[in-house]
Amino acid sequence: MGIQFRQVSYHYPSGSINFYPAISDISLSIAAKGEFIAIVGHTGSGKSTLAQHMNALIFPTSGEVEIFGSVVSKRRDKKVKYNDLRQKVGLVFQFPEYQLFEETVEKDIMFGPINFKVPVEEAREIAKKAIVMVGLDESYLRRNPFNLSGGEKRRVAIAGILALDPEILVLDEPTSGLDPQGKKQMMELFKDIQDKTGKTIILITHDMDLVYEHTSRVIVLNDGLLVYDGSPDALFKRDDLAKYHLNYPETIRVLSAIKERFGVDIDVYQKDAISAANVIRLVMGQ
Amino acid sequence: MKNIVIGQYIPGEGFFYRLDPRTKIISVIVLMVAVFLLDSIYHLLVASGVAMILLLVGKISIGRVFRGLRPLLVLLVFTFVFQILFNRQGAILVNETLTLSATSIVGVLFLTVLWRMLARRGKFRFLLLLMYLGGLYLAMRYLTFWWQITTFPFVIYEDGVTMSIFVIVRLVVIITLSTVLTLTTKPTDLTQGLEKLMRPLKVIGIRSEDFALIISISLRFIPTILDEANKIMSAQASRGADFAEGKLKDKIKQVISLLVPMFIIAFKRSEELADAMESRNFVPGKPRSRINELVFNRLDVLTSVFVVMCLTGSILIRVL
Ligand SMILES: Nc1ncnc2c1ncn2[C@@H]1O[C@H](COP(=O)(O)OP(=O)(O)O)[C@@H](O)[C@H]1O
Ligand SMILES: [Mg+2]
Repeated sequence: MGIQFRQVSYHYPSGSINFYPAISDISLSIAAKGEFIAIVGHTGSGKSTLAQHMNALIFPTSGEVEIFGSVVSKRRDKKVKYNDLRQKVGLVFQFPEYQLFEETVEKDIMFGPINFKVPVEEAREIAKKAIVMVGLDESYLRRNPFNLSGGEKRRVAIAGILALDPEILVLDEPTSGLDPQGKKQMMELFKDIQDKTGKTIILITHDMDLVYEHTSRVIVLNDGLLVYDGSPDALFKRDDLAKYHLNYPETIRVLSAIKERFGVDIDVYQKDAISAANVIRLVMGQ
Repeated sequence: MKNIVIGQYIPGEGFFYRLDPRTKIISVIVLMVAVFLLDSIYHLLVASGVAMILLLVGKISIGRVFRGLRPLLVLLVFTFVFQILFNRQGAILVNETLTLSATSIVGVLFLTVLWRMLARRGKFRFLLLLMYLGGLYLAMRYLTFWWQITTFPFVIYEDGVTMSIFVIVRLVVIITLSTVLTLTTKPTDLTQGLEKLMRPLKVIGIRSEDFALIISISLRFIPTILDEANKIMSAQASRGADFAEGKLKDKIKQVISLLVPMFIIAFKRSEELADAMESRNFVPGKPRSRINELVFNRLDVLTSVFVVMCLTGSILIRVL
């Protein structure tokens, strides 16, 4: 169950001038519950294209995607309700604040559930829960979404997807364009949602610290190819990440620099603060 | 919205690319007039032949130009059928009696079903449509036995055929000429050419620079806006707004969910653009210099001579 990619490739239809696929020959499998996955890769590596396959917004040029038992391939199947798959896998686009259009936050959050035939009263209840879940209070429901700050708008847009109560939540660069504080809060929000609901969360990001610290699995794309799928710890122990245009997390970079500069023997892959104090002691002792 | 060929510049080289945009704009207009002046089919055929040779000389793939015609195929077929059925002038070419009978109705139904089934596959649609129309004629002409309901005459007059050929050839020529123009001229060059050509309109108070600026900004933002529209559509589809199906009431809501964000994005973009232009000291109406000034060369002179000859030729043919 969950989502399975089987040798999926995708060409954009207008791509006749630069005729290389946006993603090619991708196979992977995502569990329906409990995963926290990061998708990383440089700009244009195919992350957003991959994400849009996960709820049948685009159809593979070759290969197939299986989403909760429904097969999505090049050929459209009349029996498959593609729209229903979009309720199962909620996709939050990059800069989702642009999709707001109603005159109140409440109506905007209710737009999704009502499209999926949820009765209006029930949708209103869902909106209340969703706005709290993204860390805003119920008074926001009556406000006009266009008078909110950028970060608040984005939270409302995410609430609009959470209101669908999807099994799997996919977020395309949810922290881009936010200030460091906003980024941190946003990340805590996702962590919180995962702790509370146990849903699988898939996060497209450029933030390696976050990948290193929070996620249990990382998928690396490079020029449309899947080049790594495994634990973040193992990924950052490799020394050839520059090949994929990736950075190392801050802690690893700092600890490596200290190790080199002061010649102390420390574990650069440690994560907790107590051993960080040890590092300082070691360095000062020199 | 994809695969729009009309109005698309494709980089390349060859004789058309080296012409000054002003020459090209004027030539296209003059050639259109010349073609419209022709009033015999033979002359039109000669003109089409000349056009073909020009395309070959200019190294423009004829396939590309014909792809530009594709959106208009339906219009062309419609004109053709309309002219043939309703034009009642000139000598009679075909005079047959068509029959509606039990067998011919079955034949027509069968053909319609077959046509829709095959058209669903998406290949050779146009050819299929032509074959379907031909099939309809054959069915009603020869399946006459059993249970005749009515018969009606099917008459084609000479003028119907010639008029439809005229209309079609003229449409094809107009579209081909304008496709060649946009295919081989960068939008910036096109607007610069227009700006220069419209300079004299200053006398009646139209500032051609403003006009050119409006055109070039619009052209520049068409792909961006289409891109944004696609993105918003996908984002709303993720919230269950299926633009392909749904009842009318849902449809209206879905269109609003697309239009409101599009307006907001368009306003935001235009504000940003205005700021960016101002911060680079752009002042509307002030004289500006260009990196590439337009220059006429020998090719332009030759082209102008050729075009003028075409026009004189068709005027002479018309008058004599
Ligand atoms: N709408 C589109 N039309 C044509 N090509 C596209 C479109 N969207 C993306 N691409 C191309 O597909 C490739 C992958 O893009 P994308 O999935 O957006 O990458 P990422 O999200 O990793 O930055 C890029 O080369 C990009 O140019
Ligand atoms: Mg992206």
